[in-house]
Order: sequence, then structure tokens, then C-alpha cells
Amino acid sequence: MRVRVKVWAMAALVVTGCGMRPAENRAVMDSKVGQAQQGGLTLAVADGLAAVRELAPGTLVLWGNAPAFSARVEVGADAPSDWMVTVRNAMPDAVLVVQEEGGAALTPEPLPQALPTVKVWRVALRAGATVRLSVAPPDAESREPFRFLAMADVQEALPSVGDIYERMRRDDSARFILFAGDLTESGTRAELLEFQERLEAGSRIPLYATLGNHETFSRDAAEYHALVGRGSQSFVFKGVRFTVLDSSNGTLDPWVEEQLDGWLESGRQGTHVVSMHVPPQDPVGMRGGGFANRGEAAGLVGKMARAGVDLTLYGHIHSFYSFTNAGIPAFIAGGGGALPETFDGVGRHYLAVDVGAEDGLHQAALVRVD
Amino acid sequence: MASEHPLRSRWASLSLVAVWLFSTPGLAQVGTPDTARPADAPVQAPSVAGALPAGPQGSATEARPADGDPGPDAPAALEQGRAEEPSTAGLSLDARPASARQDLADDAPQRPDFKPWAVPVAVVPGLLFHGLAPLVAGDTHTAKRLFALEGTGLGLIALGGVPIVLTGASRRTIAPLYAVTLAGFSALGISALANLYAVTSPAFDPGVAPPMLPPLELELGYQHVNDTAFDYRHFVTVGAQARFESLRLLGTVRVDPAEGNTQVRLGGAWRLLGAPERSLVGTDGSALDVEAFGQFHRYPTEGFAMVSGEVGLRGRLAMSRISPALAGSFAEVSLGTSLETYTYAGAVSDGNLHDQLLYTFGYGVWLGRGGGPFRGEAMLYYDHRKDSFVGGLRSRGGGIVGAFGLRGRALLTESWGVAAEVQAGGALVGRLSLIYALGGER
Repeated sequence: MRVRVKVWAMAALVVTGCGMRPAENRAVMDSKVGQAQQGGLTLAVADGLAAVRELAPGTLVLWGNAPAFSARVEVGADAPSDWMVTVRNAMPDAVLVVQEEGGAALTPEPLPQALPTVKVWRVALRAGATVRLSVAPPDAESREPFRFLAMADVQEALPSVGDIYERMRRDDSARFILFAGDLTESGTRAELLEFQERLEAGSRIPLYATLGNHETFSRDAAEYHALVGRGSQSFVFKGVRFTVLDSSNGTLDPWVEEQLDGWLESGRQGTHVVSMHVPPQDPVGMRGGGFANRGEAAGLVGKMARAGVDLTLYGHIHSFYSFTNAGIPAFIAGGGGALPETFDGVGRHYLAVDVGAEDGLHQAALVRVD
Repeated sequence: MASEHPLRSRWASLSLVAVWLFSTPGLAQVGTPDTARPADAPVQAPSVAGALPAGPQGSATEARPADGDPGPDAPAALEQGRAEEPSTAGLSLDARPASARQDLADDAPQRPDFKPWAVPVAVVPGLLFHGLAPLVAGDTHTAKRLFALEGTGLGLIALGGVPIVLTGASRRTIAPLYAVTLAGFSALGISALANLYAVTSPAFDPGVAPPMLPPLELELGYQHVNDTAFDYRHFVTVGAQARFESLRLLGTVRVDPAEGNTQVRLGGAWRLLGAPERSLVGTDGSALDVEAFGQFHRYPTEGFAMVSGEVGLRGRLAMSRISPALAGSFAEVSLGTSLETYTYAGAVSDGNLHDQLLYTFGYGVWLGRGGGPFRGEAMLYYDHRKDSFVGGLRSRGGGIVGAFGLRGRALLTESWGVAAEVQAGGALVGRLSLIYALGGER
């Protein structure tokens, strides 16, 4: 009976949410990620690259959604001076730099943690000051090639996602995981919290994500925005620009597309990796698992190609595909464990991608988990 | 049985399989329709004597010869309680002698009376139980067929849908499974609308299929597109359609003069089964066509153009074959595939060919010719294609669902008429056109 109710609820959720701008609400929510005011502190994370998980007098907890990010902090007159700053889902070697505006750099005290992606610092903040917090690994500004891992679509396979992290742990060179949506089956708070707990327990590297259509099943991804971060954002690591987009309705909201134009312009001269959940073009056209409008899809991939995007990474389709869209190398790596596409001979998998700021994509290798 | 009707076996292979086998009015099982009219009153299909369009009280209000135009002898025929025998000109759909047909007609179910209380039942809970409304109205004959059609639809959805889920929409099996699933949704959608039509149509004179469509039809109109993903809005549309014996050629051009978006679509259809559109007299409008189209679509703002080719089958079934209560309505289903390629502005290279499953189904009514002020048809439909102006629904399932639409066409005079269409998918599209029918239409 519960299964039947769930199926009907899913069907209703899929049908609802249609409209001229079904992703507009999420684009608005994006703009509020990383903004908070509480406990005498006013916080604004630049470009929304981290979600504020907790802000109380003396305590700030962030969930990082990029390898490097900064935040502007206004310390109220009545704010306490002693603060514990926690960044979860941080790069294992991340350091915190605290710079008071017009003043000297402060010295945060790192506190040892058991989990590699959880970083905690004790910082003394002067009441009435405005400070800039920067969280990044020491080599974030260098331009050497590096490796990241790409995957998507864990969904109902969340209980066994640890197998994938276990396989990933064998590769010491990977810096982070880029996740193309559908972390969970329904996007509930409980599911997302479980996803994050399993990630922290099983993975030695952080995971930076965009949302998938399954995240929208719960309050149009409000929980995702609160716990993980933005659906559409762009960051730079070691000279390579990464842009993730919320395409979970088979479209881009015009507001997101406007932001994308800016990110494409910023990444025009360097290496640029773009990732989203629903691929603009399904390589199996009969299935039509791509965008709802093929004209919009062609317009998007054409725009990315003209802007010199080096690599596109997608999810949504639970298999592995290697193809091109408008000449850009494209991969679907939907092997996170969700109901797999049969007869494809792949099983659970992820991609190991080597890129460099100077020479773009080196290689993308399929890594099988099972 | 199947050999008696050349269309039957082909259609049966589509979504209306189970119902079709029992759908010829003369061979239909006798139900318990509630009717006050004589059993030998004529029906629009010429092959058997069936029901005459009934007035609000279910009595015959008009008689007409087979070409659909009320003739001068009609009143006299009415007085006798029957109309003259329909003409057998054109493709006869029933080769049995007139006496045999008359015998069958005596047992055939008739159009039921209008029962207003059955109309809300067609909505709630009729949208879930598709034979319920005619059942409440006492028309068990129609009810049985609609329940069968709904059951067929649900069965096909399960037959195609469950394997899609179990195979994770595998690239190796998705095309046939998708087609079967969509066929199921077709049957389900058609039975839902037929459920509503069956209990509302007795309130009015149903339209009939046109006896002849014009040899040349020209169209000039305006199309408005509201799509947040594109700048284009206002289109001029021009279209032409030429009808030969079994061949029909079509062409349309849609241009936004300000933005430059241009779509050119050319193609044709060959009638495989059923009478040609220029000589439909004596038929009920059922037909099967094979279609082929080429399309060029230029998107100057977005910097690309699409070229595609497509082939498919399109069938139309007069629903009077399912039940006399459905006289005046038809179901239409099409299945095909397209191949398309994109060329991009700038130094962008892409030689990919993209395929697409084309699928539509709709439920329509013929307008007029049975007493209405104009002649034409209207159809509510679903279109699965994603490369049109309207695109698919941008849903929480991604982009898998197509668009819905309503289109109509009617001649207001001998040669002049209008066509209109509204579509809702990822975009909202509305089109209004002026039609000139060279040679007129009956």
C-alpha cells in the first residue's frame, strides 16, 4: 500500500511543477544561499559557494560546495569575540585566512578533526569589525593539472554508496567529486542528511554538487538549498572554471542562463568544465531523456561550444555514455547506483577526469565500481 | 471477420486492438441503449443502417443523404421515420447486401437519449472509470467498449512501462517499449474523452465526416509563441495543401519577421487505407496514411539551424465504429520517427544525427454537415515531439513528456474559413489562420 501511495505521489510530483518557468523559484533560492544574519554576525558567502548550516553566537557552520570560497562577515557590536568556524565538505588541506578590512590578518587556530573533510578553526573576531574569511587549499591558485571525479544518480542506492567512496579512496590523486544531481531519491531533509553523513564517513575528498530532478520532489529542492547549496554556480580551482547548472526540469531558467552567459565569458580564455543533471541532448534520441525542447538544447550546446567549453558532464540517465554535443566532449556518468540501465554492461561507475588550466581536458576514464 | 474489412487488421495492430475487433456497428454486440428512435434510422456510416443524429430528446430531428447535406427530400424521409439509403459511392466499408445490412441494423444499438445527470459522472469519477458515464446513462453497449478500451490502455501502459522501469530505459529496448506505453496512454486518453462525449453528444446533432475536401487549400495566419527560452514571439504563417487521388502534399512556412526565426516544413501523405480525401462520400472518414516530411528550422538569435526528415503512419478511426453514441467523433493516432542534424554558427563542428520518436494521439469531432452552421473538425491531442515551437513539458521528470493541444478548422462559407490551434508544453503557442479552399468543400 505504501509503495502504491509512493508511486502515485511520485507521478503527481513529476506532472506538477510544469510551467513556463518551473525552475524560477530555485533560481531565486540560489541567490539566497550563503546569506545569514544571526548571533551578532551578518554573513555573505561570495557567489553562494557554501551553505550556512548553523549561525549562533560563537558558532558558524558552513557546508562548502566549492574547493575555495570566501565570505564577508560583519561582526555586530554585541557579538561575542570567540568564534568556532566549522567548514564541512572542505578540501582536506584547506586553510582558513581571516583578514580584517583595513587591518591585519587574524590568526585562526585549527582544531584537529577525525573526518578529513571537516575543518574547524577557533577565531577571535573584534566587535564592530568587518572581516573576510577565505577557505581554500594552499594550491588553489596554482595552474598545475589535477584530477577530479565525476558521478551522478545515487538515489535509492544511498545505503550502498559507501562502495563507491571505497573505490575512490584507492586514487590518492583525485581532489574532489563533481556530482551531477540526484543525490537522493526524494530530496527530503532526512535523505540529504544521510547522504552527507555517508559522504563524510566514507570519502576522503569533498563532493561538490548540483541538484537533480529528484531533489525537487521535496519542497522544490528547498532542503537541498538549505543543506547543500546552490543549484547553479561557478567556481575556479587551479585555473580551471567549473560551472554547474540546475537543468532538472529539462530546461534552464532564463535567470540561470543569464548567469551562465557571464560564467562563459569569464571562462572563455581558459579551461571550462560545465556540468548539469539533465543533459541537453540525450544520445539516444528515441528515449528523449534530454531537454524538453530540442531547440533550447541545441542553442545551449552551441553557445557553450562558441564559448570554448572544454568538457560537459551530465547525469539523469543511469548509464555511461561518451559522445559530443556541438563538438564538445560529453559524458553521462549516471552510475551512482540508482536503478541501472540494463544491457549496457557498465554497472556502478564514475569518471576520473584529468584537466589542466593550460591544456584543457587530458583524459576522462571510466572507473567501474562493481 | 477481419477479412471483411481491409482496415480492421491494420488498425487492430495499433492501440485500439480489442475494441476494434467488435467495433463495426453491424457486428456490434447488442447492448441496452436507451433510445426512442426506430432501429432502422440511418447512421452516418454508409455500410449499415444505424442511428441518426438525435435531438435532445433522442428523436430524429433531421435526415440527410449520404453526402451530408440535408436534401430536399429530408422532411419526407423524417415523416416516415427513416432516411433514404446512403449512397455507396466511393469506398464501401461493408460489402454485404442491403437486406443483410438491414437485418443487422434491426439489432444494432442506437444513439442514446441525453441524460444530463450522466455528464458530471463522466468527470468524477468518470475520469478514472471510463465506461461509467454511459453505464449510468443506461448505455451498456458503449460502457462495455469504453471499459475495454481503458483496460487495453492500462494493459499497454503496464506492458511497455514496467519493462522500461525494469530495464532503466535501456537504449536497446526503449523505442518499442516507449511506443507501446504511449499507445496505452492513447487508448486511455481516447477512452476518457469518449466517456465524456458519449453522454454529452446526445444533446446535439453530431457532425459527420466531410464527403469531399478541397483539391487545394491555402492558409495565411498569425502565430504567437510565448517561450521563456527564446526571444521570438510573433510569426507570420503561410500554408498550402494540395489533394490528389491518394496523395496529399503539404507545406508551411512560419517566420518571425523581427527576430528572423524561420521554419519551413514540406511533405506529403499517401493514403494506404480508406477513401481519398477528395472523394470521401459514403465513408465514415476512417483512414490510414503514410507520411513523410522534411523540415528546416533556422534560429538566428541562438546561432544554429536544424534540418530533419521524418516518416510515419497516421490513422483515423470513426468512433461510431465503437458505438453509435460516439457518432460524430473520431480518434487519431500517429507513430513515426525523425532524424535531425544541427549546424551551428561560428567554428563549431557537430556531425551528429539525432533520432526522435514521433507519436501523437487525439480525440476529435467533426463539425457541422449534419446541421451546424459550418463545416470542419476540432481535435484535442497530445504530441510527443520535442523539436516543435511548443516543445515538451518542462516537468519534474525532466523533458520526457510532450505537449497538449487543441486545433480546429472550419469553413464558414463555400470557400473561406478559419483554422485555430493552441498548444501547451514548455511554451504556449496560439495560431489563427484564414483559409481559402479552392474548389470549395462539402
